[in-house]
Amino acid sequence: MLNLIKYEFIRKYRLVFMILITILALNLFLLTRGVGGSMLFLVLSPIVLYVFYLADIIRMYSDDLNKKTGYMLFMTPNSGYKIISSKLLTAILEGFGLLLIYFLFIIVNSIYIIISIGEVVDFRRILSSINNILSGSLGYSFNLIYLFITLFSILVFIIAFITTAYTAMTIRKSLFSEIKFGGLISFIIFLLINWITTYVSSWLYGLLSNISPYYESMDIILSTGRFNQETLIMILLPMISVAIIQTITLTGFSGYLLEKKINL
Amino acid sequence: MSQLKITELTKKYYNKIALRNVTLNFEQGKIYGLLGPNGSGKTTLMKVVAGLHKQTSGNVFINDEELSYKTKAYVSYMPTENYLYGSFKVVDILKFYKDMYEDFRYDYAVSLLNEIKVNMGNKVSNLSSGEIGKLKTVIALSRDAEIYMLDEPLNGVDVLSRDTIMDIITKSHSENKIIVISTHLVSEIEKILDTVIFLNEGTVEIFGDAEELRQERQLSVEGIYKEVFRNA
Repeated sequence: MLNLIKYEFIRKYRLVFMILITILALNLFLLTRGVGGSMLFLVLSPIVLYVFYLADIIRMYSDDLNKKTGYMLFMTPNSGYKIISSKLLTAILEGFGLLLIYFLFIIVNSIYIIISIGEVVDFRRILSSINNILSGSLGYSFNLIYLFITLFSILVFIIAFITTAYTAMTIRKSLFSEIKFGGLISFIIFLLINWITTYVSSWLYGLLSNISPYYESMDIILSTGRFNQETLIMILLPMISVAIIQTITLTGFSGYLLEKKINL
Repeated sequence: MSQLKITELTKKYYNKIALRNVTLNFEQGKIYGLLGPNGSGKTTLMKVVAGLHKQTSGNVFINDEELSYKTKAYVSYMPTENYLYGSFKVVDILKFYKDMYEDFRYDYAVSLLNEIKVNMGNKVSNLSSGEIGKLKTVIALSRDAEIYMLDEPLNGVDVLSRDTIMDIITKSHSENKIIVISTHLVSEIEKILDTVIFLNEGTVEIFGDAEELRQERQLSVEGIYKEVFRNA
């Protein structure tokens, strides 16, 4: 498994490096526009990184299934389960890496903003500046537990989305590889899985609203934006549970298809 | 003991049948020539054995084991296409094989590449088609596998390099290995073949000992090939 992950990163490090250099150049350019430029960068860069990240991890699997270079991977004596799991772990690690880099950018830009407005740079001031930035993008005051819950939830939802996309691609190259319009049918399956997930989540919230006060008044709580950590966890928990079950089921199913039905 | 057994193998695509009830038994210590015109099913057969394609029906057994990811450890398959990562240097490809296959002989691969003058520091995307062909053959044969399946190993390779590739194939041959080679260049390869399989539109037309066929028909394997497929 470690070898598979290692080569995934070796294959993509040049591209990731080029994107980071581009973003760094963008940051340097926008810094010449002052504090406004710095703030603009902090809004733009996560969008760029997120789009790049999604495109990269979808391409990572799609290339292996649809290009001849995929033979390199699929000729190796690794089970389908191992291959799909290594792809997901690579995606998770890459996501963490990009997130870490974004935080580094936030810290550097916070320091720049503090200096620009003529204040003294110290740890407390940096934290306060980060708080201001995160309040803008995440919608609440900086707090490590909030941050952890939010990041964990985002990660789980992204992984569930990736797994769904990977499953649709795997179905295309296995069950529907020998029929016409296999690509279209796989895309419909992708939409269907997403619809089922949304449906199950709403059904679960409906069910929970009858038995728990958290869910009964969830819309009101969310609209005020004033909720504590416990409420946040309770609100996200059903969705996270559905996403985790979805990820495990689809990973197992994709692994089975790679193992038993693949046609490259 | 290396053994490859194919029974009643059929492979269908949505608009054609690539293999129809193919039954073949490969024995160790022999070099097999898998011969036939384009679209006869040679590549499909190899890909099924290599685990890259799933058969529609029928069975493939390698050393009495049904095809699975585990049997990929016994088979060293060289696809006809350039399947190597373009962004990798030659040395990175060797490292990849070393990390992925327990039977990969890194030093042997390096010595072969030096012999045929393929620069280890070159990027795969910068290699000529002839160099790619040589590199693919070297890495496939540098595995100490039980079954080698080489799909068109002489494709795009110049005349002098063909001899080198033939030498490497012959060197890799031993009593406990099975080598299957598919090619259109029958005359170039026939001298090293023990057994020939003629595939036509997914079915086995001829399966027999190369020398016996030559004597029986008073023709070279290439002559038999022309005779069989001219009338097909």
